[in-house]
Amino acid sequence: MGVSIEEYEDKINSTIMEMTELIENIKDHVLHLLRDKKKGLLPLATELCKVAQIKEEKVMEFCIEALIRLQPFASDLRKLTTSMKVAYDISRICRYLRNILEVAEEFDISKCDTSEVLSLFENALSMIISSIRSYLQKDFETSRNVIKADELIDQKYRKILRKLASEDVEHTCILFNGLAARIIERMADHACYIANETAYLLTGNRTL
Amino acid sequence: MYKLRVNGLSAWFQNKQVLFDIHLEFPEKKVIAIIGPSGCGKTTFLRCLNRMHELTPGARVEGKVILDGKDIYSEMDAMEVRRKIGMVFQKPNPFPHMSIYDNVVAGLKLMGIRDRKILDGIVERKLKEVGLWDEVCNDLKRSGAQLSGGQQQRLCIARALATEPEVLLMDEPTSSLDPASSARVEALIRVLKNNTTIVIVTHNIQQAARISDFTAFIYNGKLIEYGETKEIFESPKDPLTEKYITGRFG
Repeated sequence: MGVSIEEYEDKINSTIMEMTELIENIKDHVLHLLRDKKKGLLPLATELCKVAQIKEEKVMEFCIEALIRLQPFASDLRKLTTSMKVAYDISRICRYLRNILEVAEEFDISKCDTSEVLSLFENALSMIISSIRSYLQKDFETSRNVIKADELIDQKYRKILRKLASEDVEHTCILFNGLAARIIERMADHACYIANETAYLLTGNRTL
Repeated sequence: MYKLRVNGLSAWFQNKQVLFDIHLEFPEKKVIAIIGPSGCGKTTFLRCLNRMHELTPGARVEGKVILDGKDIYSEMDAMEVRRKIGMVFQKPNPFPHMSIYDNVVAGLKLMGIRDRKILDGIVERKLKEVGLWDEVCNDLKRSGAQLSGGQQQRLCIARALATEPEVLLMDEPTSSLDPASSARVEALIRVLKNNTTIVIVTHNIQQAARISDFTAFIYNGKLIEYGETKEIFESPKDPLTEKYITGRFG
């Protein structure tokens, strides 16, 4: 029986929403870590990341099946290529979130000041959630705002690095904050990729 | 470099205008697909490119079709045009009472080439070019009409190629063929473009996406959009093109 592009789109977007819920879950663990220095959350985050990866593969399967069966063009084709990239980016963000927890396991961060990294993380999270919303709601304006917001992330990231290089603090704190900031900056990049793909999906242009 | 330029081309059947002021440029040694819904003027447009439209009683053309700098309507004779711009039709149409050999050399004989050695060489070369030689080399005297549909179409392409056209027009050349025969003709088109500019009319937009470098979308006799195939099929600029290639109409 034939399946339309809209039916595939529904299945794909439902799976992407499930992936987003996984991100929401893991991000709470990272917030606990950065706010309260709470550790021991890595095993659960690892499991959630595996689920995200399975869902990413599911999106890929839907897209490939739709490509084979429908051989779509134009906006229908862009729906599928964008979905594949968005699913990949979300899965990658999951792994970055897990990486922060993993890095924390290596160091004693109980005495580290993580407030600036936390602030950077909250900005990046906001970008991630907005970028996924812009994709699901086909909202061009929001995708544009996400891309603009990346400048702030880059500024804050560089500021953190400069501060870490100049301050006389414990090496473990320098290492943790530096590595975490780097991971968060990469997460924000993936939010931008999602926003860029959304803009391409909606306009057919890669001009943002 | 452009092989063929179309400037302000309009065409009529009696008083009915079917093409409206079309401007297009075809780069050399590329495949250009013409797509559009049934009755939009694709075939008429193709037939204007080698002066076949004027063979229809009451048909009329205005505008210019420039092949290598010469207008085919005002600066070239119709026979010369059709030698330089060959055509392959929708249904394979080998001359039914002629052998495979005679089908290939028919155009050459009209040009006055009679030397058997030259003709033998061309027959072998052209049948090899279209991938038919191995299948028919021991039976060249057999009637072309006895070949399978796919073989007949490749024979017709060999016949069109025999006169060494610089441009090859193909009007839905695979629409009557099975998938395997269609795939062979498509593979052949990819090889032929090394030496020839190919303009193909097709209803099969997947085929247009597969084989062409540039695509023109015609609707109601007007050129709606023209550009690189990747652009047209991934990010068309005109909403009509978008609707047509996503199957929303046509």
